[in-house]
Amino acid sequence: MRPARVSAPAANDPASGALLRVEGLDVVFPTASGGARQALNGVDLFVMPGEILGLVGESGAGKTTLARSILGAPPAPGRIAGGRVLFEGEDILRLREGRLRRLRGHRLSMVVPNPRGELNPTLTVGEQIALMARVHLGLDARAARGRALDMLRAVHIPDPERRMNAYPHELSGGMAQRAVIAIALICDPAFVISDDATSGLDVTVQAQVLGLLRQLAAEHRSAMLLITRDVGIAAHYCDRVAVLYEGEILETAPRDALFLRPAHPYTLLLLAAFSHNPELRRGWSAAWSTAAEPATACRYAGRCPLAQPLCRTETPPLAELAPGHAVRCHFPVRH
Amino acid sequence: MRVARYLLQRLAFVLPQLLGIVLVSFLLLKSIPGDPAVLMLGPTATPDAIAGLRAQMGLDKPLTSQFVLYVGHLLHGDLGTSWQTTRPVLDDLLQRFPATLELVTFSLILAIAVGLSLGTLSALRPHGWVARAVDLYGLAAGALPDFWFALVLIFVFYSAAHWAPAPLGRLDISVIAPATITGFLTIDTLLAGDLEAFRSAVAHLVLPVLTLGLINAGPIMKMTQSTMQKMLAADASRYEALCGIPERLVVRHALRNALPPIITIISVLYGYLIGGAVLVEIVFSWGGAGQYAVQGVLNSDIYPVLGFVLFSAVFSLVVYIIVDLVYVLLDPRLTH
Repeated sequence: MRPARVSAPAANDPASGALLRVEGLDVVFPTASGGARQALNGVDLFVMPGEILGLVGESGAGKTTLARSILGAPPAPGRIAGGRVLFEGEDILRLREGRLRRLRGHRLSMVVPNPRGELNPTLTVGEQIALMARVHLGLDARAARGRALDMLRAVHIPDPERRMNAYPHELSGGMAQRAVIAIALICDPAFVISDDATSGLDVTVQAQVLGLLRQLAAEHRSAMLLITRDVGIAAHYCDRVAVLYEGEILETAPRDALFLRPAHPYTLLLLAAFSHNPELRRGWSAAWSTAAEPATACRYAGRCPLAQPLCRTETPPLAELAPGHAVRCHFPVRH
Repeated sequence: MRVARYLLQRLAFVLPQLLGIVLVSFLLLKSIPGDPAVLMLGPTATPDAIAGLRAQMGLDKPLTSQFVLYVGHLLHGDLGTSWQTTRPVLDDLLQRFPATLELVTFSLILAIAVGLSLGTLSALRPHGWVARAVDLYGLAAGALPDFWFALVLIFVFYSAAHWAPAPLGRLDISVIAPATITGFLTIDTLLAGDLEAFRSAVAHLVLPVLTLGLINAGPIMKMTQSTMQKMLAADASRYEALCGIPERLVVRHALRNALPPIITIISVLYGYLIGGAVLVEIVFSWGGAGQYAVQGVLNSDIYPVLGFVLFSAVFSLVVYIIVDLVYVLLDPRLTH
């Protein structure tokens, strides 16, 4: 039983005019025992044109599944069991294969983590960036190469003429990450998903790459879904933030509201975990030691320090606390 | 520069490798019972005559000096004489080796075409009907003996349908063979401008090439299927699909990355088929090198066998060196 979703009246629908709108997205993975595990459970979110939405969550929360499902390609053997992904007025999940292919990488692109594993090892970086312009923009080989070189300059890769002919294994992690950003942005996409793209980089390079990504997204007027495990990244680079936990959105709010007035106990403890205040950090680890229980009505109830009997029997809806600030909790923290 | 140095390193090992191969085959052949002198002189020969012939052939000397003598002759380009054909082994092989090579090369081209395309198709749709048919075909290709398949083809296309020429050699008896330039009849007939002979050579190639090609497509197909499945599921292919790269390009890139193990299988098959084609050669009276060597083994005629081993070894080593160079061309990670 999925809880009824809050459907705001159309007149003041905060998502009206959204570029991307995910509605009630369900993704299931078959399990070895023949059952099915719900990796995403009724996920709703929207991104306005030009906006950066942060998506935070721990490993296994379903972040990558969500990112790939938005592109219509959930990780195997996952299967989209319900919901819609509306992008520029079309439901991506119901598009024909050819139309979907022309959207991917062109209007809707993705920056992947571990780029040295994902780039083709036997094609040069320049060939791979230029291929995007040839396939999606119909440029000839010369024009595509020129545009690829411009992109390498735009992502501040040193000595771009030489790097055009370099193979992925000849690049450092930071440079490969920049090459992947060039691939994602060369076609001026309306929407970019960054899937934990900087997690493999050390902190200073990470800051450079994220700053570059934000700057380029602004220049190209691209909206972005910035997926991360690092709350600090969400705080620095996003306009709004959504918190994902075991396949459910627990809280979504404008950035400042989330960080100043976190309403879900999970959000609160997640912020505490990244806090420099030792008292807060201790609070987080104390909560963590509670062993996870089998599924409860509220998925977080088993680990929640504030859980009440109601939390185990009735699933809380994602309810609006303040304009643009929604939380899935029976007993949200009041400030 | 790197490639040149690599080649030199490889070539430096070729001579010791060849010497080792010759030594092992020499000892193995000498340990086979059977005395060529007895076979040459026939059942009525006197012991004196046999001893005389043995002395004349150097067979009474110790094994080591026989070997040293053989290697000494090798260095002067003398591969010995076959007592069956009474001709120098080198002349025999120069005539027969190209016959085998032509047959094996065309067979391998067919095997590659069939193996690569069926393997790729079945990797693309692992549960489709092509994949199921390919599994069945792979099983059949592995289980059916090639000489049996050759006989079936002869029965159907020569005896019943009369589409193919009689399985008696490389040309019709009425056709005059062209001057030997490459030893490949398909090429020599074209060089001679003799279209009728060319047609005859091709017609005679069809059935043995079908036999060897279809049977040996099996391992190439299996390797292509498994490597392509891995490559299509790899991060690089998945990323290309997420970037909206058309499927045919994703497949082409994956195939290129899947090539090294496929090429390895092809090179092994190439070397193996030089001798492995012998049963098919016999069925089609091909007069190739494999047939020549087997006759040698059966009649204690060791020089043709040693010569064949030497030719095959040199051929295999050349193929392996080429394959190593192809790897370097295919994978930019290897040059650094």
